[in-house]
Amino acid sequence: MTGPTLARRALPAALATVAIVALLANVKPKLPAPPPPRVIPPAPEVRRVSSKRPTAPGPRRTATGQTVTTPFSVVAVRVTLTGRELTRVETVALSGADGRTKAINARAEPILREEALRAGSADIDIVTGATYTSESYIDSLQSAIDKARRG
Amino acid sequence: MGIPVGISADVGAAAIDRAFDWLRRVDATFSTWRNDSEISRLGAGTLAPLDASPEVRAVLRRCERLRRQTAGRFDVRATGRLDPSGFVKGWAVQCAVALLEEAGARRLGVHAGGDVAVRGRWRVGVQHPLERDHVAAVIDARDLAVATSGAYERGAHIVDPLSGCPPEGVLSVTVAGPDLGTADAYATAAFAMGLDGPEWTAGLRGYEAMTILADGRVLSTDGMARLRSTVTVADH
Repeated sequence: MTGPTLARRALPAALATVAIVALLANVKPKLPAPPPPRVIPPAPEVRRVSSKRPTAPGPRRTATGQTVTTPFSVVAVRVTLTGRELTRVETVALSGADGRTKAINARAEPILREEALRAGSADIDIVTGATYTSESYIDSLQSAIDKARRG
Repeated sequence: MGIPVGISADVGAAAIDRAFDWLRRVDATFSTWRNDSEISRLGAGTLAPLDASPEVRAVLRRCERLRRQTAGRFDVRATGRLDPSGFVKGWAVQCAVALLEEAGARRLGVHAGGDVAVRGRWRVGVQHPLERDHVAAVIDARDLAVATSGAYERGAHIVDPLSGCPPEGVLSVTVAGPDLGTADAYATAAFAMGLDGPEWTAGLRGYEAMTILADGRVLSTDGMARLRSTVTVADH
């Protein structure tokens, strides 16, 4: 295969005023495949129960509260009321794959990393920047890269 | 008004011509600088929305969803005249990438007015906002779209739609992710938010960002820190 072929075109259209075309002769070597994902087997649920005999008869109702997610566990609380007495409290810690996923997600809060602005030179292929006009393109980094490609 | 476009791809000239033809069609349809474009006629009221082409309607629907998603900070009607170019530029380039891939390109890079979309592995330099010949960072990009919004090239051309004033304190915002039109709109919105932008970018799903502040700090999302090249940028 011959070396790169480059063609420069000036297009009258408003969108494209300078067109640079390059055929890349090089083929990048293949990177090694990523390792297979780790499968975490589900752990059994943990229940903690405390209960007491009701002191007076009454209708029995059970209610389960919302699950609470912390960085370490996902917990749901189920209560049983006899009449107006709390006679049973069950704490269910979900440790299965679903629970673990929720716990991991709770740890992954959005954060920002801070650093000082530096100015440097680097071997780059292409540039991103605030929109530039055709006039400022001529002096731009991208223009220098495109010129170098044309050889 | 011209936007410089460059295409670099391992395919023949015919495929690259088709990509440029696509970009010319987009310009004819969407340019706010041409009175006869669909967008100009829609804005002037001489073309009814339902008579617009399916592409235009799809783009405007997408822009409306982005307006809601950015709490009004990306708004195609912010200047008082219908102008979706903050999304269209990226969308057009992303479609050009698809055309080149269909033609068999495996490694390609398209740049248009500072927006970039690549296939394969590319070292993407982030323009330094104050020093024209230098970069502020390098993104080690693979199959990625990168857009940047800032005030340093054309002056204060971006205003916060909610205040009507240019944002203070921010030199530029660079957003990277799978789709360039979306990255374009997010960068525009985040820049318009000024000092509230970085926190908003930290909540984006699937898109990473780096914000360069006027006081010399750079705030990057966690994912952007991981996208940045491990090769040290040599200080000049």
